[in-house]
Amino acid sequence: MAHSNRDLSTFYKVAALWSGQEGSLLFWSFLLAVYVLSVLITYRNKNGELMPYVGVVMAGVQIFFLTLNNFVASPFKALASPGADGVLNYVARADGSGLNPLLQYPEMVIHPPNLYSGYTGFTIPFAFALGALLARYPGEKWIHLTRKWTMIAWMFQSMGILLGAHWAYAVLGWGGYWGWDPVENASFLPWLTGTAFLHSVMMQEKRGMMKVWNVWLVFCTFLLCILGTFLTRSGIVSSVHAFAQSSIGSWFVGFLVVIISVCLGAYLKNRDYLKSENQLDSIVSRESSFLFNNLILLVSCVAILSGTLFPVFSEWITGNRISVGAPFFNKVNIPIGLLLLFLTGVGPLLAWRKTSTESMKRNFGWPLGIGLIAGVIALVFGFREIYSWVCLILCVFVASTVGLEFYRGAKVIRARSGATYLASAVDLTMRNTRRYGGYIVHMGMVFVFIGLSGAAFNRDLQKDMQVGQTMQIGPYSLLLQGFDSRPEKNYTAQRMLVEVLRDKKPIMMLYPEKRHFSTNEQNGTMVAIYSTLKEDLYVVYAGDSPDTQLPVLHAYLNPLVKWIWLGGAVVVLGTLVAMLPNRRAVLVLAGAPQPAAQPLTHGLTPSVTMRDGHD
Amino acid sequence: MTKKRPVAAIMMLAMFAVVPLLITPAGAQQLSERAKQVGGKFMCMCNCNQVLTGCNHVGCSTSSAMLKELNVSLSRGDSEDAITQMFVQEFGTKVYAEPPKSGFSLVAWVLPSVYLFVGTGLVVFVISRWRKRPAIQAAPAGGAPGISAELLERSRAQASRETQD
Repeated sequence: MAHSNRDLSTFYKVAALWSGQEGSLLFWSFLLAVYVLSVLITYRNKNGELMPYVGVVMAGVQIFFLTLNNFVASPFKALASPGADGVLNYVARADGSGLNPLLQYPEMVIHPPNLYSGYTGFTIPFAFALGALLARYPGEKWIHLTRKWTMIAWMFQSMGILLGAHWAYAVLGWGGYWGWDPVENASFLPWLTGTAFLHSVMMQEKRGMMKVWNVWLVFCTFLLCILGTFLTRSGIVSSVHAFAQSSIGSWFVGFLVVIISVCLGAYLKNRDYLKSENQLDSIVSRESSFLFNNLILLVSCVAILSGTLFPVFSEWITGNRISVGAPFFNKVNIPIGLLLLFLTGVGPLLAWRKTSTESMKRNFGWPLGIGLIAGVIALVFGFREIYSWVCLILCVFVASTVGLEFYRGAKVIRARSGATYLASAVDLTMRNTRRYGGYIVHMGMVFVFIGLSGAAFNRDLQKDMQVGQTMQIGPYSLLLQGFDSRPEKNYTAQRMLVEVLRDKKPIMMLYPEKRHFSTNEQNGTMVAIYSTLKEDLYVVYAGDSPDTQLPVLHAYLNPLVKWIWLGGAVVVLGTLVAMLPNRRAVLVLAGAPQPAAQPLTHGLTPSVTMRDGHD
Repeated sequence: MTKKRPVAAIMMLAMFAVVPLLITPAGAQQLSERAKQVGGKFMCMCNCNQVLTGCNHVGCSTSSAMLKELNVSLSRGDSEDAITQMFVQEFGTKVYAEPPKSGFSLVAWVLPSVYLFVGTGLVVFVISRWRKRPAIQAAPAGGAPGISAELLERSRAQASRETQD
């Protein structure tokens, strides 16, 4: 009732569940229960020695959230308002308070469930890691068991973050998609450590190394999920996303202390089980690249965490709260992101154990050359933003390495099967889904980086507009044709009718809106976007000018933004591919002379089953 | 090298060479760009947690007033430092969009570099240890204290049996 009203569409009535503190915690418990049930059903008759420990850890986390649901933030409390004498009056209300206008957007119906599925999903690898340590369960089995669960959680977290970014872009009307808000950062931190974990587990699987590191990465990922929830709900940091300040934060602090103590205790007691089994043969190897990949991801994570908490620390130490906004995070994280992009291209092409100079020349010669040529072309065409320029070179380099890997593999299959390159590439991918799914994810990240690099070239223009007036931004002319008012069930929209022209030819109509929600007397915006792969024309009805009383049109020209959403879709596709089981490769040998008695359909030698590919 | 390889490489090159063409470099800065540049150094004080020039809440009186103040100062010819002082006096240090590079705030800028150096040092240390260490597999007698190679192998076999899908 506090977050809904009768006129709200069913779509948003459902979303109202997670728009408030209590409902979102209940939803969290529900999602966690779904995960726990799925794990228990999947492994009901397996891993007899491990599962009791895993079950206890999962139950412990579930009990904590159920405690919050029942005793701290119950969603079933009756609404009351205090009277003059301070006594709460429980009065039946005709209607609810309504949903925050900013949340009345389709992404808000799917963004929180995705993000929460990511947060809660990381409970599963955490439970297996802690359970395996407590049970002194040997080997890498816990990693094999949890790989898919980790990838599911990571995929949801990625989708949640990107959907949130798209929501910010389409609703908040400031022309950007990522503002380094503390709550955005809180969702990004476990994603970074989760990404590091997904890479470093390969070291343990293939070489029996980094066992301590992996266990602690999973612990940290889960701790960061809880820390993020604490930051969002305690009111300790100021954020546009944060829930109302409440005492619930102390519960999360207590939970964090318990988790850290248990993890530390289990580690100190059983750390002998986490000894590495192998040595490093060469610095130029896949192992080293994973170490540096993890280093960069972790440095980024810690830098974002310390930046997010810096206002709190500065207030404690100096008495003055010093804000840390987007400019700081951009300055710190852009170089780190570029380093990471570089490693994305380098890592997969280095061999396990040792990479020879010959192999490096073969693998990196073309991609490096193509990247550098792209850089020169960019310079010729006037690219002068250094970070965007480096980003472009690296994107081309990484895309070339990925493309070359697909090309080489597909060529081998094509030579044997005679299929097309595309069919051979699909066959190749299905034979080693993990490796080639990973490459698809890397390609998705390249797209995301291409999109991010466009931000350096954003332009915007604001103008008080009269009907019939035009505004020129980039190649577009925006002609204000008029206004209309559109009453909807839950709000009234005032729209600007803007015709978009390019080279004096009309392209389309855009309808930026200003909405008034009478239920809670709040206003909101609805941005109108004309999106192409080249650029987004992003138009906002920014209210009326206090000086001229004329409506203000704020137009942005944001290059390459669509690549970010496209990249997100490719990342999800790659993750899904990587979760598929490998198709067994069938080696078809060339036709050999057969005895005449054999039927034609068996004219080839019997198929030879190859061992599943490995990355 | 096969004939197809250069063709594929050239096609790839051509595909990515188009990317820079997609972006039109920023042209000459407009007059109001100065206000945007200076305004980007402050936070909007409406609690939106966005930089002043980024806040676009419908009817946000705070950002409108702050931008107006900024425009007045700029048209008066005030320096960036004077404008900063004005906003800090009015709103306190939380008006900074990024911590100033002096005093305690310098810590915020130094920390990421410290993390990177310490992290790199740790990685180098780990790599050097790994390179010196003999592999456990190569030395059956060596292993985790209290765990014999036989026990480890038996445990592996048991784990493998129990976790077979």
